[in-house]
Amino acid sequence: MAAQLFFNGLVTGLLLALPALALTLVFGVLKFANFAVGAMLTLGAYAAWVVNVQLGLPLTAAAAIAAVTVAGAGLLTDQLVFERLRLRGSITLLVASMGVSLVIENVCRFFFGNASRGFDVALSRPIRWEGIRINQEQITIAITVVVCLVAVDVLLRFTPLGRAMRAVADNASLAAVRGVERRTIARLTWVLGGALLGLAGVLAGLDRSIDPLIGWNYQIAIFAAAILGGLGSPIGAVLGALTIGVAEEMSALIIPTNYRQVVSFAVILALLLFRANGLLGAKAARK
Amino acid sequence: MIAYLVTIAILVCVAALVGLALNLQWGQAGLVNFGVVGFVAIGAYATALLAPHLGWFPAMLIAGAVSAALSAGLALLSIRLEENYLAIVTIGFGEVVRLAILNEGWLTYGALGVADIPRPFAALGQMIGGDTVFIAFALALVAVVFVLLEAMARSPFGRVLRAIRDDATVTSALGKNVFALRVRAFAVGGAVMGTAGALHAFYLTYIDPSQFTPIVTAYAFMAVIAGGRGSNVGLLIGACSIMALLEGTRFLKDFVTVIDGVQLSALRLGLIGAGIVLLLILRPQGLAPESKRRAADLLPDDKASA
Repeated sequence: MAAQLFFNGLVTGLLLALPALALTLVFGVLKFANFAVGAMLTLGAYAAWVVNVQLGLPLTAAAAIAAVTVAGAGLLTDQLVFERLRLRGSITLLVASMGVSLVIENVCRFFFGNASRGFDVALSRPIRWEGIRINQEQITIAITVVVCLVAVDVLLRFTPLGRAMRAVADNASLAAVRGVERRTIARLTWVLGGALLGLAGVLAGLDRSIDPLIGWNYQIAIFAAAILGGLGSPIGAVLGALTIGVAEEMSALIIPTNYRQVVSFAVILALLLFRANGLLGAKAARK
Repeated sequence: MIAYLVTIAILVCVAALVGLALNLQWGQAGLVNFGVVGFVAIGAYATALLAPHLGWFPAMLIAGAVSAALSAGLALLSIRLEENYLAIVTIGFGEVVRLAILNEGWLTYGALGVADIPRPFAALGQMIGGDTVFIAFALALVAVVFVLLEAMARSPFGRVLRAIRDDATVTSALGKNVFALRVRAFAVGGAVMGTAGALHAFYLTYIDPSQFTPIVTAYAFMAVIAGGRGSNVGLLIGACSIMALLEGTRFLKDFVTVIDGVQLSALRLGLIGAGIVLLLILRPQGLAPESKRRAADLLPDDKASA
């Protein structure tokens, strides 16, 4: 039982890792927490659903289109909203991102209604290994996320773009002096973050049914993961996501499953009170 | 038609109370609260559960007090946090309240909700028409809260809150206890949100968890942004115009057959989101900006005394 929950927790954690990474990357470069992460994840799930179910293409093609769609949405909101408000302080950006979140969520609701949807994938028998039941979906989620994480890691560490992103996140003025354009890097960060959110939406749609609140249900856990890792730290976000995933699933042993989400909230609160910079340390969270 | 206008009027009153509260917390004190709906729900449930036993007035006072106490508690824990973190903590609080109301059936009757909430002045209402009495009650409540909050905004407390919002470091250097003042601002806001919840419960006489969604929070933000952050008069204008516009769209259902009810509500909520973003970009000062008080207004007039 505990082993099964731990395994499920790891998969949930991997699923959370992509949006948490997206949140933390955008925070690193733009210095504000994007409250539209949940809604963008929802958008990804619906984009993939349209391609997969309505157009009848395989799920891999659907995932690619979902990633492109959400990356585009990220670019568009950045251009139309966040760039214009950039100098007006982080509270304004926060509230604006809540507004963006409402718009995206309700565009999805307008076109697809409140009904639950599912991808057109063949049902398959779960594998049993050492007494643990493993679904096909869980394997897909784990492999996709690990591949994405390795790709992002390589991108951040070994490419000029990754170096530039880290430079802007670290010190935007200094990066500008060295000829790294903040604006270009910000756009590319949105593309990367959007693509990760789109893929996360597809994986979330595999894990549960798709409805307009699918992303919102992950929202607090995503933030808990990113804060746990120290907002702005990519590796921290991944470790934070795994921790939150395991903590949420394992909590079923001691508290009613209805209260799973409370675990994330409790983790955020406890962490901010006792170790305000996240596990790996980052920007100060207190004023 | 009349019944419909009455409903709109009451909804505007509830929204105005919630907006006034957020205007104190966010507009004047600069503290972002994304968990507004949680405090409103607590006020509504406290009222619903207590009013049949204690009568409406004590129930309403206790609703405000419970909301204020929880607000102060949350503020004590989290008000030192930087905006991004305060925002997620308050969202989390709102979700925890929602889960607790849904799952603690022994107290809240879960998804079934609480029915038969007594209205204030019910006896008087039976004599001269329940709606008239209730509207008068709602307007009086908004008026009392408005006068109190406006007096507070002009008091030294309000002044120091705005100073903290504009520059917390300077205010702190001038010897003000920024932390305690922020907690107090949050608690007063919580009390008003609880009272708004009470009015909501009194009007509907039946409450259930589905009435308290994050949309309540979005309405409040929209009203504060539209009215002009920090201005209570602006807030009333903002709340009235927003609610009138939004509720007006409910009429569309009878004329427009192309889109169904779910689509209409999605359209309404999407417009709220777009409105928030557009107002922030195009008219950040709002419809009725907070009046800037110059230092000279506060000092005794030199020429008169000379």
